Amino acid sequence: MWFKLALRLFKRELGRGELTIIAIAITLAVLSVFSLSSVSSRIQDSILQKSASFIAADRVLQSANALADDYFADAPLDGLKQARQITFSSMVFYNDELQLAGVKAVTESNPLRGQLVLSDTSFGKQTRLKGAPPRGEVWVSRRVIDVLDIAVGNELEVGAAKFKVSGVLIEEPDSGFNPFNQNPRVMMNYADVPMTEVIQPGSRITYRYLFAGEEEKVKALTDWVEPQLLDNQRWYGVKDRQSPVTSALERAESFLLLAGLLGVILAAVAIAVAAQRYCQRHYDPVAIFKTLGASSKQVRQIYVTHLIFLTLMSVVAGLIIGYAIQSVVFEMIKEFLPKPLPELGAKPFVMAIVTGVSCSMMFSLYPLLQLFNIPPLRVLRRNEGDKVKNNWGYLIASGLTVFLLMWGYSQSLKISAILFAVGATMIVILLLLSRLFVNAGRAIGVRPSNPFHLAMASIKRRVRANSVQLITFTIAIHLLLSLSILKNDIIGEWQNQLPKGAPNHFLANVTKAELTEVNQLLKQQNIHTEGLFPIVRGRLVNVDEERLIQFVSKEKEDKSDAGGRQGIGRELNMTWRSDLPLGNEIIEGQWLKPDSLGEVSVEAKVAERMKIKLGSELTFLIGAQEYKAKVTSLRTVDWNTMQPNFFMIFSDDVLADFPATYITSFHVSDKQKQPLNKFLRDYPTIMVIEVGAIIGQIQSTIDQVSIAIEFVLLIVVIAGVLVLTAQVQASIEERQQEIVILRTLGAKGSLIKNAVMLEFLMIGVIAGVMATIATEILLAVLQTQMFSMDMAIHWDIWWMGPVIGGVFVASIGLLSTMKLLTRNTSEMLRSVNM
Amino acid sequence: MAEISNLNIIQVKNLSKHVAVNDNDLHILRDIGFAVKSGESIAIVGASGSGKSTLLSLLAGLDSPSKGEIYLDGEPIHQFNEEQRAQLRGKSVGFIFQAFMLVQSLTALENVMLPAELAGKDNAKQMAEELLERVGLGDRTAHFPNQLSGGEQQRVAIARAFITKPKILFADEPSANLDGKNGHMIEDLLFELNEQYGTTLVLVTHDDKLAGRCQRILRMCDGELTEAEQGKQSNVV
Repeated sequence: MWFKLALRLFKRELGRGELTIIAIAITLAVLSVFSLSSVSSRIQDSILQKSASFIAADRVLQSANALADDYFADAPLDGLKQARQITFSSMVFYNDELQLAGVKAVTESNPLRGQLVLSDTSFGKQTRLKGAPPRGEVWVSRRVIDVLDIAVGNELEVGAAKFKVSGVLIEEPDSGFNPFNQNPRVMMNYADVPMTEVIQPGSRITYRYLFAGEEEKVKALTDWVEPQLLDNQRWYGVKDRQSPVTSALERAESFLLLAGLLGVILAAVAIAVAAQRYCQRHYDPVAIFKTLGASSKQVRQIYVTHLIFLTLMSVVAGLIIGYAIQSVVFEMIKEFLPKPLPELGAKPFVMAIVTGVSCSMMFSLYPLLQLFNIPPLRVLRRNEGDKVKNNWGYLIASGLTVFLLMWGYSQSLKISAILFAVGATMIVILLLLSRLFVNAGRAIGVRPSNPFHLAMASIKRRVRANSVQLITFTIAIHLLLSLSILKNDIIGEWQNQLPKGAPNHFLANVTKAELTEVNQLLKQQNIHTEGLFPIVRGRLVNVDEERLIQFVSKEKEDKSDAGGRQGIGRELNMTWRSDLPLGNEIIEGQWLKPDSLGEVSVEAKVAERMKIKLGSELTFLIGAQEYKAKVTSLRTVDWNTMQPNFFMIFSDDVLADFPATYITSFHVSDKQKQPLNKFLRDYPTIMVIEVGAIIGQIQSTIDQVSIAIEFVLLIVVIAGVLVLTAQVQASIEERQQEIVILRTLGAKGSLIKNAVMLEFLMIGVIAGVMATIATEILLAVLQTQMFSMDMAIHWDIWWMGPVIGGVFVASIGLLSTMKLLTRNTSEMLRSVNM
Repeated sequence: MAEISNLNIIQVKNLSKHVAVNDNDLHILRDIGFAVKSGESIAIVGASGSGKSTLLSLLAGLDSPSKGEIYLDGEPIHQFNEEQRAQLRGKSVGFIFQAFMLVQSLTALENVMLPAELAGKDNAKQMAEELLERVGLGDRTAHFPNQLSGGEQQRVAIARAFITKPKILFADEPSANLDGKNGHMIEDLLFELNEQYGTTLVLVTHDDKLAGRCQRILRMCDGELTEAEQGKQSNVV
């Protein structure tokens, strides 16, 4: 019998719109968690998969020595794809021509991620494939073809063996990106390496063991490999490599995580506000039920059934809408993603359901417990049970639920703890501030005919309720502001990094004699550059009087236990120039002047590592000669710009007499490509490196991430709007009785409307101001601590916050009041009586 | 026709109620004692704040006394907990309130059915329809409270009060919220049904005229029962 009653009441409440906000809030929590965890994790998977092609694998074990045959005997390799690579530099010969080449020997499964692009001639038809050249054959890059004047079908000598050139290698995913040390590629079969007899004791060889597969399996292997890594071995994934893609990915992941967390928190706040309001509206019915003989058990059954129905309905709705949203989003961005699309999996479903159920249960629990305790006496004493007690147990339980949700969602105890602590502190500060604001209004007197005075009087009467409202408004506005600013900052910074027209070609190995022709070509084709940088190679040998320890081989490079100051371990590319290159910033000292003598500007991180200070005297070994220069400035360098960057930049006098080659980077449109290629054919020693493919990859990654970010923001905005609406509606109800009295006493609709609007406007504006302050503080912390960005004041939000707060809160308040005012007074009186 | 039996359906002994207000004890009821016979109708009258509503709440088991004993239908409700009191209310007590106290989200019919449903009765709907017909609202069964006038809402409340055929009916200022004509209509209906169902009626009012329709009047003053007088228009045989 109670079930029928519960069902009937539920249907009625639903029909009357009493449950709408709470249902939407649960639905939103579910759909945001579902769509975020499915869309963002699938986009992340896709991005990872795609960017994994930058290293041709998910993880790579790089070693300076060949690993023993049984090295991986005990390793958890089941279900993982494997490939091997050996790279070394070697002279290659054709007829009497020779060229230093970067030789890469690969197994047939190479590359595990991404594809090779191969052509039958230099500019012939291109095919994408995975695999290694057949035994006895090599694939070579265009530069080998050009420099050696070799053709497909000819035989190329590598070490002691001869190989038939069977293809032109146009693109390889893991080609790396170092415009200084790019020897033209010769790719051979892994099994052919011994034939070349190139590998001798002491040779500089890099062995790479590539792995790809499901993240869990890769992780298991990581756990196995990492403890036994030697100093000359590295275990890395795409995320461990400092590239623009990596940092874009990391920021996007942090943002998605943060936004997802905030979305869930906002939805939880909306549920709590709406549940409280719903329960308060049911104090009278519960008192009536009890008076008419309902047992506590019956009351519990009725309302718990409501909650279960509501949760079930909202969770299902959330899953359906979430599924639809992620399908639409995927349909939209399908072309960006690699095929096949990663599976959806059970995780989003589980997470969404757990979030929906725990949010609805946890945040409805305390209001429900209060509802169950409403005494039947309320039917006679109308305010019996009205007084809501602070319940620390409930507060702690709610806090814990929020924290657990954050932790479960972020999988990061640290991030959750930081955000939670910041949030809790902010709420306490806001509570104090809001009391202060509200109390400040006490000084103003009351004249009932003036809407402003009525509004102030109303605010004063409800100090406690208004403080809570103010905090809710503030938090909602604050989170919305923070996320949208952060979104703009992140996307803006990416776009700044890679603007349209970012350099897509490097030109290197230009001799002094060729400078005039190159400059002429650039001028003719209207190609902009930051100028040609001269390069001289040399070693840093002394810092002040201290001799640096130089390691001859790369193997020992990372060993730092030898005592004494350690050298950089390799030759440096050094340049000289009188103007500060783009993307460089002086942080100490002064930039070189045209008349500076014997000065050097050092990149800040290298300076820190080598303990080089302003004023230090550095000694460089260039060829057989030693030169000294004094450090007069330290620079930060933005390595993400597609420009040649240098650790050491000298004053003009130091290196000018050394034979230098020149390097530059520039953007070339498709139309300009042909004249460039034609020019380059006449200068075969000039090296051109196309980075357009890499830029394309970065840009499409950024595009995807931007879509994910916009989408997440949209969901959070909806959650925020919901919180605001729930809170305004709840507070309108508190005001209903007052409005009815004013109305009954003959107050004009416009007076009531203006008073309510003003009251909400004031609360909204104050909330907006507090939200703005909180936003600046939070952004400063997040940008510097979480996103490694520079701190910036956001002047826009100083007007946006208060305006959005005021306009939004006042409009919702006004709309709800208008609804009340359209009813006739006696009808209102009747409903207030209840 | 209701008949008064010799059985005391309500028995009150040494009843007191006091509450703490700002560290002081406020005595609302002092040492009250009386009995009501089954089928009898009594009015509790008195000025505002005299304690009549508190007395009603204690008699109906909506609140518990600070001291004293109350027997309702032979049951010592002063010893009962809230659950037991609710059970007794569901079984033996009906209510009519000044503010009607209808559940806004239920229709007139559903409001009337409510006590019967809570008591687990199968024919709640049929009984409710008959009662609504009886109070003249047979054509308004599907209306929600806010679609009914005050008088109509109180008629629904009366129908609801009688659906479980309670032994005792408590009415708190049943016509105070209504205009004269509607008020009288409600009062007539209440007494008619009371008579028809043979219910004991305990009516709280400050309207002497209405009180006069009861067989006995208890007058409250400052928490004490000052006098008991006979109703002027006894309709009891």
